[in-house]
Amino acid sequence: MELSPFTRKVNPEVPRLGVSTCHFVKMAATLREKQTAALRRMLNFNAPITKASSNEPQWKILVYDRFGQDIISPLLTVKELRDLGVTLHLNLHSDRDTIPDVPVIYFVMPTDDNVQRICRDFENQLYESYYLNFISAISRQKLEDIASASIQYSCVAQVSKIYDQYLNFISLEDDLFTLRHQDRDAISYYALNRGDVKDTEMEAIMDMIVDSLFSVFVTLGVVPIIRSARGNAAEMVAEKLDKKLRENVRDARNSLFTADSAPGQFSFQRPLLVLLDRNLDLATMLHHTWTYQALAHDVLDLKLNRVEIEESTNVQSPAGSPRPMKKKKSYDLNTNDKFWHIQKGSPFPTVAEAVQEELDAYRTQEDKVKSLKAAMGIEGEDDSAISMLSDNTAKLTSAVNSLPELLEKKRLIDMHTNIATALLEQVKTRKLDIYFECEEKLMSKSVQDKSLMELIADPEAGTPNDKVRLFTIALICGPHMSEAEIDQYCVALTEAGCDISPVQYVRRWKAYAKMTAAPSQYGGGGISSTGMFANLVSKGSQFVMEGVKNLVVKRHNLPATRIVDALMELKSYQDVEDYRYFDPKLLRADSSSVPRNKSPFQEAFVFVVGGGNYIEYQNLVDYAKSKSLTSPKKIWYGCSDLVNASLFLKQLGHLGKEI
Amino acid sequence: MAVDVTNLFKATVKSVKSRNKLSGENGSGDKSSILGHTRKKGDFETKAKDVVSNITQLRDFLLTHRKEYVNTGSHLSTEASKMSDAERDQIDNDAQSIIRKCQESIGILRLDSSQQPVHPQVKEHRQIVIFLMGEYLKAICKIYSEQKAVRVKRAVDRKNISRLKPETKNSPIKNTDLSSLLKKTKDDGTVEENLSSNAKTPNLSKKVPPPPENQPTFSPDDDISPEEAQMFEEENKALYDEMNSMAHEVRQIEGKVIEIAKLQEIFAEKVLEQEKDIDHIASTAVGTTENIIDANEEIREAIQKKAEFRVYILFFLVMCALSLLFLDWYNG
Repeated sequence: MELSPFTRKVNPEVPRLGVSTCHFVKMAATLREKQTAALRRMLNFNAPITKASSNEPQWKILVYDRFGQDIISPLLTVKELRDLGVTLHLNLHSDRDTIPDVPVIYFVMPTDDNVQRICRDFENQLYESYYLNFISAISRQKLEDIASASIQYSCVAQVSKIYDQYLNFISLEDDLFTLRHQDRDAISYYALNRGDVKDTEMEAIMDMIVDSLFSVFVTLGVVPIIRSARGNAAEMVAEKLDKKLRENVRDARNSLFTADSAPGQFSFQRPLLVLLDRNLDLATMLHHTWTYQALAHDVLDLKLNRVEIEESTNVQSPAGSPRPMKKKKSYDLNTNDKFWHIQKGSPFPTVAEAVQEELDAYRTQEDKVKSLKAAMGIEGEDDSAISMLSDNTAKLTSAVNSLPELLEKKRLIDMHTNIATALLEQVKTRKLDIYFECEEKLMSKSVQDKSLMELIADPEAGTPNDKVRLFTIALICGPHMSEAEIDQYCVALTEAGCDISPVQYVRRWKAYAKMTAAPSQYGGGGISSTGMFANLVSKGSQFVMEGVKNLVVKRHNLPATRIVDALMELKSYQDVEDYRYFDPKLLRADSSSVPRNKSPFQEAFVFVVGGGNYIEYQNLVDYAKSKSLTSPKKIWYGCSDLVNASLFLKQLGHLGKEI
Repeated sequence: MAVDVTNLFKATVKSVKSRNKLSGENGSGDKSSILGHTRKKGDFETKAKDVVSNITQLRDFLLTHRKEYVNTGSHLSTEASKMSDAERDQIDNDAQSIIRKCQESIGILRLDSSQQPVHPQVKEHRQIVIFLMGEYLKAICKIYSEQKAVRVKRAVDRKNISRLKPETKNSPIKNTDLSSLLKKTKDDGTVEENLSSNAKTPNLSKKVPPPPENQPTFSPDDDISPEEAQMFEEENKALYDEMNSMAHEVRQIEGKVIEIAKLQEIFAEKVLEQEKDIDHIASTAVGTTENIIDANEEIREAIQKKAEFRVYILFFLVMCALSLLFLDWYNG
């Protein structure tokens, strides 16, 4: 299930257990790897990392702010930080004590607060030498502030290096990046579409997004061709980004896109950047999902590749009655985990089966090791021939060597078992499979079941949020409903305890947006449910999935994917026809925006302004995979922040209340 | 691609300084001398840096002499090996003493830092610094032990090849690289080439015993009949094959024993790691048993007191009843 258009240069410092395909045709390193390499270089005092077998450890202290923390945490574990020599990692705004004689590396955003805090650190003489790394470019004014503070507190010599890192984005997977996590409200869908948003605020948000996109392309070292729709936030972002890139390319002295890009980069064609606005497709954000990663995000709130699960274990209290004790456990899910890497896009039943298989494989290996122990015990008494001894020795050696791997495998299997069990519980209680089926039918324009009203009225099925989501999707993509019908549904929803302000907002949105063609955009898909899980139950699996339908999802393209497909292949759909075209490398700002490209694109960046989620990401990944046989494509997905459906619903609710 | 703005910063510093001078600010900036005053390094830091530099020196020392130490020529390289075994032993001893010293100094640093009253962050920082130093030392030790293992293996192999223990009188020739040298020792005799570990390969030729003085059992004057010759030849061949296979097996055993030694080392490492935990568990278990014994005592006392208390209550109730009866009789 590997993404075959993918090139994976195996980073020597990061051990990869995943399968790596090697198509040495396109760019050698992924965005994530480049970001990790940049971080490591920064932690090595901005000197390139040599490959000496054992280097003298140089210890240092890392100070970050919230943004820095979000950037570093999916990429480097605490152990890796320690191996790089980082003894302490602290937040900028926490109380920090003087630690003498140690160099400190700052990784912060160049905001006023941070600069003031750094100047206070100079005043308190906290550390020996300072290496300042700013996540995005620092302005002249703030540089002067730091200079004057360092003169005032007489530590000019101690400020060893100042760097602009241009790493203002969070890369979660090799082809998925977002812009913000801890400060996401600033650039959320709500912030962009509020009724009372001021122009200055809009400008500020746009600048933030443009700055981050700029860092993405600086890190990769390419100048893309930009296309965006007209008349929405994405267009503004596109214009600003185009201007910024053009200025930088023109400036021959400090251009960041010089020809000395990473060696081994053979891409002759520039990638395409497609800027989309969230208003294109609200239904996908509320959709119930069925693939592993998207389900984890929706149900268990996957944040920065980490899940938290409440496990209840039964504890015997002194009185004798078992008391369930809830414990929160958090798991890391990243690409080093081979199982996760392969299974993250597959539908949930497949995942359950795969976990079962892994468990069986692990048990057989464990038994082999145990039998070895028995064999050795027997052989020890016997004065056996040499050949038998040598066999056992070899077996013993291999067993001992494989023990750590076995233990690691066991831990991963346990983790996935727990996560899958938690997901299964939620699916069963909220009847998410029925919702999924219903929504798929709605989105693919097949016959609307009469079960919509039943589902809403049914107190057993799902939380109020689920019901609102279902109805909103029906409103957006279903057949046209009269006002009376809608009111009827609203009454039913209110009885079920739901907040219907999102519905009000969506009604108004639908009226504004001239989305006449909206329903057809979801076409081409469908599902086939194959009833009960007879075969799975007969396998004696741990996951008793009776009552959960085995839904086989047929592939269909979400609106975003369709647009990307049209733009990459240079097809001409009517809605894509008048997309604006920007090429920052052209000499003159070509306002005629006539596409000048003749050949289809092989690489594309899709960026959604206003929030995105794993469903869209998975859809794009599947699309790329399906196209890999005819014309290999590589697609990156980015969004301003990853929102799951409940968060998005809340934002819609706020918007609805303001109407 | 990160952009280095340090030069820009320095230029900015200069401009700000000149601006300050122009505006006639009182130079608090004059405090910084032109050379920039060096800060006094703290105690811990200097000691830690010393230990690290020692370990680095050891590493360089080991790596520079590695090639000669290992001497990856063939067993029979006719050129003299560049390092005598005495020198090798000395390298071993020196390395071991340095490693021991470094370990001691790391231990001393650890004790010192745990005793000093400092901020918690500083304490944590120092602990991790000591941990990193220990890891570095372990890595260097691994280099050293790998080298030593290679050397031991080569010595064992060499001994193995050069030792001949023919079982019978008519020992066949071992068809090894030594065949040229050993042609002299065609016939019997326990030709034991006892090479010490100091054997340089030229010594090999010297140690090969002179042509056997004690002749075989049959006098050279005896005529060997053709049948006997053939029989002898067949016997020779059989013995030779047997010797070959035995030698082969012995070599295998040697290899396996080395593997076992490696495994032993791994196990020993693991056991040492667990030693601390096991000690802790043992002491906790002892404490627990003592606690339980005390608890049992307490429970026993409590039961006894409960019983006594019951007796007193009963007595009191009986006395009350009797007194009531008495009063009743008294009044009436």
